[in-house]
Amino acid sequence: MEDHNSDQNPGGIRPPGDLNPRTGPSLDFPDKPFGEMTPGDYEAIGFMAGLEVHQQLKTKSKLFCRCPAGRRVTRVDAEVLRHMRPTLSELGEYDGTALMEFKTKKEIVYLLERGTVCTYEMDDTPPFEIDEEAVRIAIEMSELCNLNLVSELHVMRKQYLDGSIPTGFQRTAMVGLTGSIPFRVPSLGVDRELSIRQLSLEEDSCREVSDVGHRITYRTDRLGMPLTEMVTEPELLTPQELQAGAHLLAQLARTTGKVRRGPGAGRQDVNVSVAGGRRVEIKGVHHHRRLPLLVHTEAFRQLNLLRVKAELENRGVTAGNLQEPQEGPPWDTSPLVLDAGAVLADTSFFPVRNALSRGDTVCAVLLPEFAGLLNHVTQPGFTFAYEISDRIRVIACPVHAPFMTHSEVDRGGLISRHWKVLERAFSAGPGDAIVVVWAPKEDAATAAREVLIRAREALEGIPAETRQAHVDGTNGFERILPGPDRMYPDTDTPPLPIPDTMVSEVRAQLAEPPWDRQERYQELGLDERSAAVLSVAQWADLFDQVAPDAGETARRLAGALEKRIPYHARKQNGAKPRTPQEVPGPARVSQLVRALEDGKIRPEGLVRALDETLASPDREVPDVLDRYQPVQDDDDELAEAISEAAKKVGSLRTASEEGVLRWAMGAVMKRFFGRLDPEPVRERLLTALAQEGASPADHQGGGSNKAGEGVE
Amino acid sequence: MSAAQKDPYRGYRGPAREVMKKFGITVWCEVRAKTTRGEFEGLVLPRSETSDELHLVLKLTSGYNVGIRHDTVLDLTKVGYREAHYQIPEKEFPTDAGHPEVKLLGTGGTIASRLDYRTGAVIPAFSPGELYGSVPELAEICNLETEKLFGVFSENMGPEQYLILAEKTGEAIKEGFDGVVIGHGTDTMHHTAAALSFMVQKPPVPIIMVGSQRSSDRPSSDAAQNLINATWAAGHGPIAEVMVCMFGPTSDLYNLLHRGTRVRKMHSSVRSTFRTLGDIPLATVEKGKLTPIKDDWLPRRDDKDVLVQAAFDERVTLTYYYPGMNADVVDALVEKGYKGIVIAGTGLGHVNRLIYLALERAREAGVQVYMTLQTLWGFVQMHVYETGREILELGVIPLANMLPEVAYIKLGWALGVHPDDPEKVKELMTTSVAGEVTEREPHDGYLIFQGGIPEVQEFLEKVWR
Repeated sequence: MEDHNSDQNPGGIRPPGDLNPRTGPSLDFPDKPFGEMTPGDYEAIGFMAGLEVHQQLKTKSKLFCRCPAGRRVTRVDAEVLRHMRPTLSELGEYDGTALMEFKTKKEIVYLLERGTVCTYEMDDTPPFEIDEEAVRIAIEMSELCNLNLVSELHVMRKQYLDGSIPTGFQRTAMVGLTGSIPFRVPSLGVDRELSIRQLSLEEDSCREVSDVGHRITYRTDRLGMPLTEMVTEPELLTPQELQAGAHLLAQLARTTGKVRRGPGAGRQDVNVSVAGGRRVEIKGVHHHRRLPLLVHTEAFRQLNLLRVKAELENRGVTAGNLQEPQEGPPWDTSPLVLDAGAVLADTSFFPVRNALSRGDTVCAVLLPEFAGLLNHVTQPGFTFAYEISDRIRVIACPVHAPFMTHSEVDRGGLISRHWKVLERAFSAGPGDAIVVVWAPKEDAATAAREVLIRAREALEGIPAETRQAHVDGTNGFERILPGPDRMYPDTDTPPLPIPDTMVSEVRAQLAEPPWDRQERYQELGLDERSAAVLSVAQWADLFDQVAPDAGETARRLAGALEKRIPYHARKQNGAKPRTPQEVPGPARVSQLVRALEDGKIRPEGLVRALDETLASPDREVPDVLDRYQPVQDDDDELAEAISEAAKKVGSLRTASEEGVLRWAMGAVMKRFFGRLDPEPVRERLLTALAQEGASPADHQGGGSNKAGEGVE
Repeated sequence: MSAAQKDPYRGYRGPAREVMKKFGITVWCEVRAKTTRGEFEGLVLPRSETSDELHLVLKLTSGYNVGIRHDTVLDLTKVGYREAHYQIPEKEFPTDAGHPEVKLLGTGGTIASRLDYRTGAVIPAFSPGELYGSVPELAEICNLETEKLFGVFSENMGPEQYLILAEKTGEAIKEGFDGVVIGHGTDTMHHTAAALSFMVQKPPVPIIMVGSQRSSDRPSSDAAQNLINATWAAGHGPIAEVMVCMFGPTSDLYNLLHRGTRVRKMHSSVRSTFRTLGDIPLATVEKGKLTPIKDDWLPRRDDKDVLVQAAFDERVTLTYYYPGMNADVVDALVEKGYKGIVIAGTGLGHVNRLIYLALERAREAGVQVYMTLQTLWGFVQMHVYETGREILELGVIPLANMLPEVAYIKLGWALGVHPDDPEKVKELMTTSVAGEVTEREPHDGYLIFQGGIPEVQEFLEKVWR
């Protein structure tokens, strides 16, 4: 995670940079629920997080073929079945993830739809030239992040043996490195730079349809879509900062106007570590608002794994106690594993009984000195035993669940007589724990190995894993965290030079970054919040084109656009808030703003006039403006309204003179839709009320809550 | 790898090499580069020789490679040195007395391979240890002995290699192997399969050619499945012919065994590229199970008898006829001393009148001319139209449904076997030696489905899964 990893250890699996810089875990820090943690608390546990933001680009074509990008389909014209095998990296190493995924021996099924897939996605045709439109967008985003641009793109293959890409690797190219962006979140007291480690351009993977046992099924419509991956340094120090960071990066991408929006178009992976631990990656978070609870929960999972580690060390457990079995059936080769089928033949525990009747192998695995630890809580609702069963689920792919129980399960599970027999068979003591797993023979062998592998990893504390987010904020195992060994050059694509001319062309039409925009809007007189909202709003360009005068006009326009454009878009789109909003052209809005600047309408009238302009695109703007001309003091209707209001106050049950006046103001102003200056009306009402001799003192409550424009 | 020590600037030329020299940097140096585009840190990799001479390639700690243009470099500082040793893990190939003995002859190609990142190319890996390291399943199928004959890609295979391959195959049979597998690039696999079919006749054991459409440096490669099924068919299969063993469908499901004289590569890149033309394949092979589809194959025998006729006259050619072809094309071949011409004609076996005279001149010069079809499917039928009859009169000999490439190979072989006896050559050419001409074309010998048609769509939805 840190920068100090240039002295990469040659035999090592991953750079030591994955380690949290603070080596001593805060084991004594109490588990606190989300919401009760202060920034100081997160600092105390050494919380660090970074983001990997994946953003689909709005190009016509996919990245390496000319299939249309951005289509989502459910139709299936054909299926293809494939398998994946690990291969060597350029530096001669097999990648750990790759080997793990090979162990799962999955049948991978791809669903094809003729309109979205060609033989390239099926891995039956070599790649075509990389899409230049996508390269240019990636350069633009790199420039916005102030990254150092490479001179030549090298397409790499990043291995994924889970089948999510039919080639078994993702084609990806590094575009820019080492930059930073302003990171200002007043509500969190954040005002600093956020370091961006890198931005790469890559092809998107398949959408998973199902994953049952040894068969995983994918849809291929999304496969091959261009995607940028923006990676921050792990500088986000609270869950709230992380959410704000994700928000900022999403805004930054949208600033270009060249990225896709909607479900799945932007996805975040988060890297989390705590003191004494190492980076864990959680994948595929679609909503920013889910991030804080997710990383909070993960931080405490890690802290609890570190507690398990400390306890194991305390008990003197070493890796030697948990040897991984040699090749062959582990119940034949390891003293820690035995075939428990005979022992459990008469069990009444349904899952095992059913397994035996299916012909599955049931085996027991001894975990020396693990007593009590399998029940150690790691996440809300989950114990350390889940860490083990989750590994088995992914790697051994048992079809029938449940597939595991253990000697510390309080209720349900095997009866104590059976545990005693197993204990005797292992010569186990009270300090030991036993895990029982069942699956078809080969899977049971894999499962038994995984129990020992995961138990041994408990000695390291935090295994280097990629995990998947659950909806409730917890997370589960997805795969071993891949290292750099899974990257090797793509021999099908030549390096692509990024000449200065191309960079200048991109720079010439670079979108204004949101932080610059915000500053500009604040200079126009907007407050910080409004300026921040406007800087990333879809109507920001409209605002700029209309170019309101600084001060009141700018503030009024920003407020009116912010309130009314989403409102009208929702009305038009039938309450689909995720649909991109229709932004009107500048010609009509500009007339409104000029009228405001020239005093032809009152500031309060702008919102009403804008509403009408948006709602009735066919009505001429001057006609609209006519209706919002300021009401003159000698207007008869105004005089009538004032006197009517003054008469009605007698029937009010209101508590105070102030309340009466407020109600009366509301009643009058509402009739004139912001065409009135409230101050003179107020004066005239006071006079009229005095004449009516209203005495509100006997009454309680009621009335309009707000003097003012009567909008909405 | 020793070349690495010899040339510390491997693959770098021109300005990029100058920059390295200027700052005392070689390949495998870990460097910190100050450039006009900012700072970069990484390991200097050898450069592909086909890439330009303007950029240095750095491997970052993240595993990514990036290119740094020479004229952006302000400073290069060496911070370390780490030379990569790329090798497929070699494990000793275990033997089991109960397993058949299979000989694997290597010609190059990509059945097992590794990356050469100097050239960016894929280079074959071949020893039994290397193969076992990447496809351990092989040890459960057979005892494998390998011999690398050439390290050439498919397109560089030719008559010279055919002769050696035929001799080596014959030797392996005489030595008592239970089957022979030949690793081969896919582009000209069907040419070589034809050559072996004629040069190694009536073998007692299977001779199986295999390759891959996706190189084995890719996780999705078809190499492992092809190799597994080929060695299985060679060691255990009942069919003793020269065959090609490649993917049936594009899915990882089963392989087809194609007769060496009726098979052709039909797509540049898909896995299921090899098809039997004008007939049906011999068998399917899948996970230790061989299921014959045809029944006219030659069975495995216990003897070691085989007829090896390794000969080839290179003065033969295959001419793809086109409507505007002029007579001088044929004349030039005759003048250059070619002894045999195979024409791939249109339709039922036609060429236009423009070249009649040239064909006559060829006959007078003693050049044998044969007719095959560019339609690939169907029989030469030169009696149907007058054109055909005229061409027959010019001495052009129809070759029934022999595939054009097979006819070319066979003619070179026949002329090689009978260099001084044109009549023997003609007789050999018009007699089926290894199934290159069939008597009948079954109704399902020609199946090119037209995509998009409802009934085909329906079929694919059921079958393509």
